[in-house]
Amino acid sequence: MLQKLRQSGTLLGFFLILLFFALKLPDTFLTARNLINISQQLSMLAVVAATMTIVMVMNDFDLSVGSMASLSGIVAAMLFTAGYPVWVGLSVALLVGVFGGLFNGFLVSVVGILPFVATLGTLTVFSGLAFLLSDGKTIFGRDIPSSFSGFARAGIEIGDVKVPMLTITAGLVIFICWAILEHTNFGRRLYAIGGNKEASYLAGIKVVRLRLIAFSLTGLGAAGAGLMYAARVASANPTQGSGLMLDAIAAVFLGMTMSRRGEPKVVYTLVGVLILGVLDNGMTQLRVDSYVREIFVGLIVLAAVAVASLSKRRNAK
Amino acid sequence: MSKAFGGVSALADVTLNLSGGRVHALMGENGAGKSTLIKLIAGVLKADSMSVEKNGQPLSVNDARDAHEAGFRFIHQELNIIPQVSVAENVLLGRDLPRKFGLAVDWNKVKTLAEDALAFLGATHIDVTVPAGDLPAGDKMMMKIAAALVSAEQSEPVLYVLDEPTAALTGEESEKLFDVIERLKTKGASILYVSHRIDEVLRICDDVTVLRDGEFVASNEIPKTSKADIIQAMTGRDFKNAYPKRETPVGEDTTVSLKNVSTSNLQDVCFDIRAGEILGVSGLAEAGQSELLKLFMGIGKIKTGSASYMNEALPGSPSEAWARGIAYIPRERRSEALCLDMSVKSNIVLPHLSEYGFYAKPWLENEDALEFGDKVKLKSNGVLQPVGQLSGGNQQKIVFARGLRGNPRLLLLDEPTRGVDIGAKYDIYLLVRELSARGCSVILTSTDLPEVLGMCDRILVMEHGRQAHLLESAQMTSADLLTYFFTDNEAAV
Repeated sequence: MLQKLRQSGTLLGFFLILLFFALKLPDTFLTARNLINISQQLSMLAVVAATMTIVMVMNDFDLSVGSMASLSGIVAAMLFTAGYPVWVGLSVALLVGVFGGLFNGFLVSVVGILPFVATLGTLTVFSGLAFLLSDGKTIFGRDIPSSFSGFARAGIEIGDVKVPMLTITAGLVIFICWAILEHTNFGRRLYAIGGNKEASYLAGIKVVRLRLIAFSLTGLGAAGAGLMYAARVASANPTQGSGLMLDAIAAVFLGMTMSRRGEPKVVYTLVGVLILGVLDNGMTQLRVDSYVREIFVGLIVLAAVAVASLSKRRNAK
Repeated sequence: MSKAFGGVSALADVTLNLSGGRVHALMGENGAGKSTLIKLIAGVLKADSMSVEKNGQPLSVNDARDAHEAGFRFIHQELNIIPQVSVAENVLLGRDLPRKFGLAVDWNKVKTLAEDALAFLGATHIDVTVPAGDLPAGDKMMMKIAAALVSAEQSEPVLYVLDEPTAALTGEESEKLFDVIERLKTKGASILYVSHRIDEVLRICDDVTVLRDGEFVASNEIPKTSKADIIQAMTGRDFKNAYPKRETPVGEDTTVSLKNVSTSNLQDVCFDIRAGEILGVSGLAEAGQSELLKLFMGIGKIKTGSASYMNEALPGSPSEAWARGIAYIPRERRSEALCLDMSVKSNIVLPHLSEYGFYAKPWLENEDALEFGDKVKLKSNGVLQPVGQLSGGNQQKIVFARGLRGNPRLLLLDEPTRGVDIGAKYDIYLLVRELSARGCSVILTSTDLPEVLGMCDRILVMEHGRQAHLLESAQMTSADLLTYFFTDNEAAV
């Protein structure tokens, strides 16, 4: 009973937040246009959080996703500037994500550094690389081909609503992550590694290889989100991904409060992403100071996780 | 002293009378309620109703602090030590460390206090400055008992509760422990001794209480009872023989062949195992038994000598080992074998996931989990129950079900019945016999000598990673085997 309450508490909180903004902003909040807008604002975070879930399932972390997102945007923009076609820029940027993730995985599973320390290190490395490549400048204007930035403005008309391509992309990524984690034996093994690494290894799970793959998927997701961001603002800047990491981890944690045994799940991560996105959108419309907004979001994450761990402890008694 | 509990689902109206200067055994199969009872006395769990009296005075035990102040000391089966911290600090854990000038920790005093406590136990060989995690299992147990003794200063302990203290100990270490118990007894403390090992209980205990399915079954003085009586009380049925006999002959083909194999932990190991044969590996604690088993899982490099499994090289990794039909049941059930938060089903199919293809097939997993759960006589609330909620015996059955699922050619058992009750033990022995009859070779390590003698065809005695003896087990007694542990290798010539 208590467990059910704990699990549904976060969802309940989400609906309360929705209700609050719907009452406070009756004309603008619950409109198709605003909801579409939220979904587009959220799409980058959704991609990073969904792929972050893949490593968090194994009890690992990736702190470097934000700077990886910046780096991939810069790499793509540099290639565009140098006159390479769009597809080359995109592929190379995504490959950078994969290899950056593989490097994280190598440090964590082969060398054996704690994920927190390893990815804190690569966070700095990726960010430094982004600054080095771009010379600390924002790349924008004519250097960014319109076929690239146009993607972010394009959408598919469904009825009289235009669903943005960014939203659709995020939806696809979430679906793929969900399918991988919940419906493949690869995903089952990742959950087993999260349950008990040593036991999984002795039961014949290829722990080292799976952690490498999982980290490279997270890197790929981060790079993808970086490209989405660059397309949306039609520019690339070496710091533009920096806010993604904390929000993504917060979203996964919010999601973990909803699952039965506190394990991360993609669907719940999505709820976490929605909570953060709706809060952000609503408070912006209410003209809440952005610094106050940050304090508020931090407190909400802490409250949800605190309630979950308190009720879990009581359950254990 | 009397304690009464009632209304707890795991335990119904049990009364226990303990008196000073006596060792009282608490016995029962896994899930009989022994752990629940201990947790209630320790104040870790809350009883629906419970009354505790000490010397005729009512006593309230609501939390761990109450229990401690009442003079109850607990030494658990799963030792909760802090491995990175020195032995001395572990001994003094939970107390304020002695200080110099009220500030700096007085390390000399810490050392002396810990050494004194260990000296009382006759364990002067333990260096109190090394990290506790580096001690062998037996010494860890001594350390925990010393810790219980040290905390005696605040209030005289009246009751020691020892939960399966010998499960991780060798015969020799157990003897030391029995001496200690004898000494505590003469100091007037009463001791509640929980164990699955009946021979031990008959030897060192004065009284015995048996629980079954959370209910009180019998309580008696040891001289007035017998092994058969106790087993009958525990299981509710007769037990003629603790070990099922071999009924099929050993096969002809050689499954495993080791020729003068040396690794960083093993030296000059040399044996063959035929299909269906059960090889016991025994010796003093940590003489290389686990390392030998792990070699077949692809952990550890062979430096010299040659080894083969099914006429090919040994597997290079655990995943290859499982794929080639080697099933492994590790020594530490909780840390090496199970994902405790995960379901019965997930734990059973874990090594075999690749057989279900790329996409997960939960329905097939369910079928398999049910089938193999039945085979091992698993008692659970369905295949989705987290294994952490099951008793030790049932958890071990899950690890066995996992092994059976692969239809193995070689089964590696590292202390397979440790902390497992008699009924579940017998089920496990039957499974081993069944596999052996199907031609599966078995390597079994155990510190339980009757088990090795009762189950194995041959016994490999190890000493510091070296192969000391390779013996035929027929006609041998525990005493014979024990003497081999301490005699030198006659094959050294």
